[in-house]
Amino acid sequence: MASLSTSSLSFKAPSIQSTRTSQVLRKPLSFKPISFGCFQSSKNLRLQISCAAKPETVQKVSDIVREQLALSADTALTAESKFSALGADSLDTVEIVMALEEKFNISVEEADAQNITTIQEAADLIEDLAQKKPAA
Amino acid sequence: MVDKGQVIRLCRSLLRAGRQLPDYNIREYAKRRTFDGFRMNKNLTDHSKVEKAYAEGKKQLEVVERVVKVYLAYPPKTKNIMELKLH
Repeated sequence: MASLSTSSLSFKAPSIQSTRTSQVLRKPLSFKPISFGCFQSSKNLRLQISCAAKPETVQKVSDIVREQLALSADTALTAESKFSALGADSLDTVEIVMALEEKFNISVEEADAQNITTIQEAADLIEDLAQKKPAA
Repeated sequence: MVDKGQVIRLCRSLLRAGRQLPDYNIREYAKRRTFDGFRMNKNLTDHSKVEKAYAEGKKQLEVVERVVKVYLAYPPKTKNIMELKLH
């Protein structure tokens, strides 16, 4: 029964591509959620959330951004800081994304790269990709 | 009509191609040169100039890809000291 529901869920997962779910559910799936059954478990398979990137990741991203944009030590960098607000143009964004790719050993797609505007988004994307990599 | 997205894509493909180079020096040069090249032409408004710069960029992309193949045929035997994490 459980395995049946898994297969049907994994089929659904692509359609919910853009939903973001709790990072807490990253561990091997134990099918606790039954009441919402399908929907919640398929969220488990997806493993992405808007504000669940680890603080260390956010910190590392901030460091890279600070280095690339040559920001002084006292400019406050929060997770919600936009690159454009920090004085980065699109080329700087490309440079930042490249530096992040190298640092975290991931590969960012074109479409994803265009959508990164804040530090938080970058951290989330990194977490997402770092997760998918072992599976691939 | 060359738009901003295309330019950014060209930049990324140049950078990605340059990353495969085995030699530290030429790899860093490729990175530096792409950024310098794109920044130099950043504020071009004249459309024909933009097209010309874009075409040159594409040519350079071919050059990089060719050079990567050549370098991979004879990769360096030791790591460059800059690549070693000594601290």
